[in-house]
Amino acid sequence: MKPAPFTYHRPASLAEALTLLLRHGPAAKPLAGGQSLGPMLNMRLARPAHLVDLNDLIELDSLRVTEDTLEVGALTRHHRLANAPEVQRSLPLLGAAAASIGHYTIRQRGTIGGSLAHADPAAQLPLIAVTLGATLVISGPDGSREIAAADFLQSIMTVDLRDGELITAVRFPLPVGDLWAYEAFSRRHGDFALVSVALSFSRDAEGKIVALRLGLGGVDTVPLRLPEIEARGQGRLADENTIRDLAIATATAIAPEDSEQVPAVYRRELAETLVVRAFKAAVNREEGA
Amino acid sequence: MSAPTQDPLTLSLSVNGETHEVRVPARKLLSDVLRDDIGLTGTHVGCEHGVCGACTILIDGRPARACLTFAVQMEGHEVTTIEAVGRPDTLSALQQALHEEHGLQCGFCTPGIVVTFEHYLRENTNPTAEDVRDVLSGNLCRCTGYQNIVVAVLKAAARMRGELA
Amino acid sequence: MSDGFTEIGRALPRKEDRRLVTGRGRYLDDLASPGALHVSFVRSPHAHARILEIDSAEAAEMPGVVGVFTGRDLDHMTTRLRLAPPIEGLQPTELTTLPINKVRFHGDPVACVVATDRYLAEDAAECVTVEYEQLRAVTSIAEAFAPDAALVDDSLSSNLVSHQTLSVGDPAARRAEAHRVVEARFALHRHTHVPLETRGCLADWDDGRAHLNMHIGNQVPHPLRSQLASRLGLSESQVTVMSPDVGGAFGQKIALYREELTVAALSRHLCRPVRWREDRMENLMSAAHAREYECRTRTSVSETGRILGLELEIDEDFGGYCFYPANYMARVIALIMTGPYRIQDYAYEVRVALTNKCGAGPMRAPMAITSWVMEGTIDAIARDLELDPVEVRRVNALGPEDLPYKMPTGEILEDVTPRETLEMAVAAIDVAAFRERQTQARSEGRYLGLGLCTVIESTTYGSEFYKSAGIPGSGHESAWVRIEPSGVVNASVGLMGTGQGYESPLSQAVAEGLGVRSEDVTVHMGNTDIAPYGMGSRGGRGATAGGGTLYLCALKARERVLAIAASMLDLNDAGGLRMRAGQIERMIGDDWQKVGLALTDVARRAYLDPLVLPEGIPPGLDFSQSYDPPAMTYSNSTHACEVEVDLQTGAISIDRYLVAEDSGTILNPIVVSGQQQGAIAMGLSGALLEQVVYDSSGQNLSATLADYLVASPNELPEFEILHHHTPNRRTPAGIKGMAEGGVMGAIGVIANAVSDALAPRGVTIKRLPLTPQSIRALLREAAPSSMKRTQS
Ligand SMILES: Cc1cc2nc3c(=O)[nH]c(=O)nc-3n(C[C@H](O)[C@H](O)[C@H](O)COP(=O)(O)OP(=O)(O)OC[C@H]3O[C@@H](n4cnc5c(N)ncnc54)[C@H](O)[C@@H]3O)c2cc1C
Ligand code: FES
Ligand code: FES
Repeated sequence: MKPAPFTYHRPASLAEALTLLLRHGPAAKPLAGGQSLGPMLNMRLARPAHLVDLNDLIELDSLRVTEDTLEVGALTRHHRLANAPEVQRSLPLLGAAAASIGHYTIRQRGTIGGSLAHADPAAQLPLIAVTLGATLVISGPDGSREIAAADFLQSIMTVDLRDGELITAVRFPLPVGDLWAYEAFSRRHGDFALVSVALSFSRDAEGKIVALRLGLGGVDTVPLRLPEIEARGQGRLADENTIRDLAIATATAIAPEDSEQVPAVYRRELAETLVVRAFKAAVNREEGA
Repeated sequence: MSAPTQDPLTLSLSVNGETHEVRVPARKLLSDVLRDDIGLTGTHVGCEHGVCGACTILIDGRPARACLTFAVQMEGHEVTTIEAVGRPDTLSALQQALHEEHGLQCGFCTPGIVVTFEHYLRENTNPTAEDVRDVLSGNLCRCTGYQNIVVAVLKAAARMRGELA
Repeated sequence: MSDGFTEIGRALPRKEDRRLVTGRGRYLDDLASPGALHVSFVRSPHAHARILEIDSAEAAEMPGVVGVFTGRDLDHMTTRLRLAPPIEGLQPTELTTLPINKVRFHGDPVACVVATDRYLAEDAAECVTVEYEQLRAVTSIAEAFAPDAALVDDSLSSNLVSHQTLSVGDPAARRAEAHRVVEARFALHRHTHVPLETRGCLADWDDGRAHLNMHIGNQVPHPLRSQLASRLGLSESQVTVMSPDVGGAFGQKIALYREELTVAALSRHLCRPVRWREDRMENLMSAAHAREYECRTRTSVSETGRILGLELEIDEDFGGYCFYPANYMARVIALIMTGPYRIQDYAYEVRVALTNKCGAGPMRAPMAITSWVMEGTIDAIARDLELDPVEVRRVNALGPEDLPYKMPTGEILEDVTPRETLEMAVAAIDVAAFRERQTQARSEGRYLGLGLCTVIESTTYGSEFYKSAGIPGSGHESAWVRIEPSGVVNASVGLMGTGQGYESPLSQAVAEGLGVRSEDVTVHMGNTDIAPYGMGSRGGRGATAGGGTLYLCALKARERVLAIAASMLDLNDAGGLRMRAGQIERMIGDDWQKVGLALTDVARRAYLDPLVLPEGIPPGLDFSQSYDPPAMTYSNSTHACEVEVDLQTGAISIDRYLVAEDSGTILNPIVVSGQQQGAIAMGLSGALLEQVVYDSSGQNLSATLADYLVASPNELPEFEILHHHTPNRRTPAGIKGMAEGGVMGAIGVIANAVSDALAPRGVTIKRLPLTPQSIRALLREAAPSSMKRTQS
């Protein structure tokens, strides 16, 4: 289990990285934390002729909070996201999801850019990005462009990234609802979830749900945000009935892959259960229970 | 589109505070370079896909999988391996506790565990058993059932805080 | 017999720890061998296919490549493995070193690339092209036994490679007179061992001496050397096997595998050191698998749940190749099935199937399914008759008055305590209090369950066992003990540890027998030039066979030492003498008193002044001993486990786990508790998470550690261990052996606990693993309305 040969490049600047990527086109791959690309290289499932190491681009390891955005640089490690006070203040859902990725050691290296580019349908950060309507900032030969996370993620490990392009940042719009939860179910601690749920909302003065965001991971080829379910929940009290109704509607709305090992019906059941648990966790957190 | 070079590169690597010059191809994994080219065989290889944790080393003081790192990436960084953590006659607090609490059997997973917590216990001086289990989930052990490892980590933490002789 | 020990039973910390915790252990891949060549195997992408052509021309020309070798090449360098023990119902099999005509599973090695390093070897392996003609794959027991099944092994008449039956007493008559006949089914899934260190070897042929040095992590160095020599056409004098530190084995490092033989043959062929380090995907796909069984029981019972007769059927999926006689594992299951219970009318039928999967081998507790089958049967009886499962156990359990007990298969149980461990576990868990909690929880929509599982663990197999099984071979072990001129003690035995921590307990056995401190004893293992010819480590024989032989050998040494001491003290005989911590003591009045003579003094005389030794005593202090344990020794235990099943997700959490265990005299409690915990962990991990998965075309879908799930600390409970020590009166020092029962108990107890939890839902566990999706599937099947669940 050893990687095929490649030429290694270590650009000192974003500009240099982009030049290298452009020069080598489809034969080149950026290397960030290596926590997904590494296993694929070792198993020879990926065999780029050129590897462009982004780890010196420390300017991409950044967090910036403004009034209406949390901007996370592409090279920001999961561990930093999980622990940064500015994330905990502005977007605790993102921090909690990041804290649940893999294992402590994996989080020291893995990056948000890598996670989005890798596009595992069960991964945490793509799910949060889609659910909260984040925008990716992508630099390429023609300058930089922005794209919604939901448009960027096309299918399992397939994204809208053209030759010579790099993700440089992920922008999460602020503010989001003050109630939130990330719920995931995996067979073993630290494994990719079979199904995961990201939830964010607020309650108005009468206790009714507003600004509802609901996303699911592991139930399709990409993480899904479910606007119909969100609409269904808006303006209702977050009580047992509403929660059950939304959970059942969610389970009906999705069409997960059916495999002998994990049947679709099971993923639907998990989705239903996790939606309920997410709502309860969100409400309980507020009530300090 | 040029073909990849197979030619070895000359690297200068700082490992455990010492500088080593090695000539290796770019694709050579840090785990292999540490073991074959530098002779530090305490870093073990159990899976080469990031799951088992046996190859855990520190990069600039933070834990990382040596099997998911290329040696060529380490120029300009400081690598720390198990060999720098203690010696048979001067065990670290955690190594001593693992010995006392029977926290190892075959020992193949042990260097990765020691290195991970070598860092973790510095940043988290008073972890709960649950915290320890969470971090330990990144290091598979097939022999022990983990119970004694958790006890040992907590004991080492208590000693490092000066609460236990 | 167990009282009065000073070294045996000490909680002596492990001697190997210091090197291992500091990364200074020496495992196979840590051995430097300048200029060694590396191999990479080309493996079959198909489960079953004819090999039409292997084209290695391109690969052979690649950088660093020394050669590419196929099954045909190896057939000239090695002999074939013929397994044809005279066992009724067992078809003889024959294997080439690498397949020549066809491959039999996904991952089967078809060619071996030798290159100057592993990276280059893998590059070249990718460029070896093999043309296959795909054949229909046999991927289940049912398919294997179907009338039109494809033949896995073309030389056999069918895929039924082994078939045995036995009937003792009159089970049919018992069925006729029974109050009820209870049927139950048990399907255990395919596991694999996953030692954290994979397989591998470093073969170094010394052409001048015509001698092979084989470095290999292996449990049985001497039998391996005999095999290696014979397959290479060498004599045993021409092969040295050296086993360095080993990163776990669990049964996976016993056989001489085809890859290892290939590497040895190529080292000899090329006159260069050649090494192989198996990678994890190879390990998961092609090393050895285990435990795939389907069992059915039919039990005739009285109104009180007393078992009148038991009929058992076992089918095993053995995979594509026989590295062991195919009846090897299943036979023991059938043999000890009745275990802790009084049953005399018993019948079994054992069928073993060849399939297009990786070959099966023994894995820590090869008989693991036994306890689940028997204890699950007991629970089935309790359910059927609406009796308390504890009572059904009590009614049937062997008590002290029944011992020694001759099982219907002829096996003798003595010095075991199944009823005692049952009562210990029942009392400790407080079954009555649990039932109250369970009722309360159910009313809140929470599902708690309690499982019990009593285990009779066969530990040490003596020669008598092999003889009665029809397997040529011995169950003996050998040791030597040498007191050096300085008085330090070296010893050796044919075992080879693979992580258990032999160094302390075995030195304790020597120290006890001799009368020195364990710290002054060093036990050398794993090098066939040093170690005596013993049968090595397998099952739970380390303590009884290994520790027992060393203890006996040390007693012999002590006798000599005391005889010399007596002469040095001008005594007529050694009657009133003993040695403690290396000091000779003499009984004066009622007291043992030091006499100012130490082992060092005795050793000096034996080596440096032999002419003054008493008549008849030869110079030096060198002893050897072999020992053949009883046909079989047994330990026993009762496991108890509380679980909660999350009905919504199917997840199982373990709230409490305890085991009451009787493993006789214990050499070292630290090591024993580690073995207990590790064995239970392996059992639970297997029952809950692990599974080798083949799809219907025979593709292995579990070839990474992200797919073959080994438990992390978060899926495992804390283990409470209650000790009970009943020494075996027929073994040295009363040692029984242990280390596998934990697996047996864990598998049974978790399955029983989940069945108990889900009883109100009409669900019984008949199939492992207990994945959350499988639990949900059972709940759906049992009550379609449970789809509309009330969320809590
Ligand atoms: C044992 C283990 C458990 C894990 N568990 C989880 C889990 O539970 N949840 C989870 O989400 N992840 C998990 N991961 C994956 C981990 O989160 C990775 O860190 C992440 O998926 C990829 O990030 P990376 O920085 O390591 O990217 P890399 O592995 O370096 O790269 C991944 C891909 O992204 C591309 N890429 C990287 N950076 C950029 C960029 N800036 N612009 C464009 N392309 C880029 C690379 O070319 C490559 O194709 C696990 C990994 C391991 C080894
Ligand atoms: S060898 Fe690196 S994680 Fe297993
Ligand atoms: S001690 Fe063997 S794997 Fe942990």
